[in-house]
Amino acid sequence: MNWARYGEEGIRIVFGNTVSADVHEKVRRYYFFLKSLRLQEIIDIIPSFTTCIIHFNDQLTDFDTLIAHVREKEGDLQKIDIPTPVSHTIPVMYGGQYGPDMEFVCSYAGLAPDEIIEIHAGTVYTVFAVGFIPGFPYMGTLDKRLFVPRLETPRLKVNEGSVGIAQYQTGIYSFESPGGWRIIGKTDRMLFDHRQEPYSLMKIGDQVRFVPV
Amino acid sequence: MMEIVNPAWLSMVVDGGRYGHADIGVPPSPALDRYAYTALCRLLGYAAGIAAIEVIGNDFSLKVDRDLSCAITGARVTAFAGSMPVAPWKVFMAKAGSTIRVKEAIEGLRYYIGFSGIIDVAKVAGSCTTNLECRFGGYFGRPFLKGDRIALKDVRDAGERAIDESLIPSMKAPHILRIIDGEERDRFSPETLKSLFEKGGDPWYKVTTKTNRTGIRLEGRPLEFRKGTEQSIISEGILPGVVQVPGGGQPIIVLYERTIGGYARIGHVIKADRDLLAHLKPLDKVRFQRITRGEAERLWNEKTTQYYNMLP
Repeated sequence: MNWARYGEEGIRIVFGNTVSADVHEKVRRYYFFLKSLRLQEIIDIIPSFTTCIIHFNDQLTDFDTLIAHVREKEGDLQKIDIPTPVSHTIPVMYGGQYGPDMEFVCSYAGLAPDEIIEIHAGTVYTVFAVGFIPGFPYMGTLDKRLFVPRLETPRLKVNEGSVGIAQYQTGIYSFESPGGWRIIGKTDRMLFDHRQEPYSLMKIGDQVRFVPV
Repeated sequence: MMEIVNPAWLSMVVDGGRYGHADIGVPPSPALDRYAYTALCRLLGYAAGIAAIEVIGNDFSLKVDRDLSCAITGARVTAFAGSMPVAPWKVFMAKAGSTIRVKEAIEGLRYYIGFSGIIDVAKVAGSCTTNLECRFGGYFGRPFLKGDRIALKDVRDAGERAIDESLIPSMKAPHILRIIDGEERDRFSPETLKSLFEKGGDPWYKVTTKTNRTGIRLEGRPLEFRKGTEQSIISEGILPGVVQVPGGGQPIIVLYERTIGGYARIGHVIKADRDLLAHLKPLDKVRFQRITRGEAERLWNEKTTQYYNMLP
């Protein structure tokens, strides 16, 4: 684990440099540990594949003080309660009007649409991070046969509910937004509801299975 | 009740930001010029912050149905309350039935209008600010339209207050953005770093039209990666002001609407210069200046002093 300054009001804690279940578990445990401290000096924590970013309030503390304070409590790291991951089943309409990049993915992977669907829906994915926009789950890892590069020029508008893939990841656009992932399907499940907590359907560590409909 | 007569190009409810939910991707979406927003709140007597209106564009106008203390901060504007000219960064009184009109922004882009009363909109995840992209918060999750009616509660008299002229920041060109090193700085070629930061280089970048609350897209000499270097990163948390460089080499300054990014980070715009980002508009020219962390801290301390000195 490596601690570094991140901009002026951030701390970057690096747990590894590869995407793996092992690194993910470390990130996840540390994230829940940081949360459990309920420090008012910490404004936000952003856990992802290999790092945790802490956004701290620099009027209340500084980098060295905050680190010392957190490390002092690290003895509790293995003792804290970590929520059991929730399993989600997400219905997806694959291809056609819902998956504008299905054709590209087929030709890139050298597979038929049915095979793409079978492979994509045949794996249980882990949510490695939630973000960029509210409720967007970064999930992995994809079967190697489905690895595709991002679009060279991202779309200015990806429809809400779009299911995309990029390299080792798959994700769901929780809102209409710009995006560069290859879109292979669409779900009508709501991933983020600002009207009630917990606003996001998914959180780090959750397990996801796609079901073709 | 207040009524929007002309919403200008874009006007919306903002506050200090929606914090505490970045772990599920909720961005802060605050007033982009935090100094101007803070000044507005202090002028009106709300030290802890209130909902205000952030506006881009000329001819914004709003009709009030009662005597009301108001203030305008941010971009330098020519404004009127009824037929009376209004001084910027100073409390003024709008009479019942009169119209507050901002004719034009003379310097800077975004301006902030606040009232000595609470704009009555529901909080979402602890904040009144508008997330335009996701359509929540603020006024029904959207920008104002002509005819929108806004209720004010707990209206009081703000008294006479003004921000001293010396504490009003300049938003004039040339725009120099000071940055500290980013995590992937070493992935860029020595020539690119030299051209970007040293005298005799070609350091000017143009703000493009693909610029909004999410980010400022720049266009200029493409930033080149070292040969054979990985260009993207494993996506991870980002903070406002980070300068990301996609494969094409044109930098993007990330504002307050994203929590995770996957592009190489060449630098971070320092806190002391971040409010200036709220005022950059298409065709503006900017350049980066690399400074040390120590200098950045000193500049922020200076700015903090300005915050303290805003009002006696």
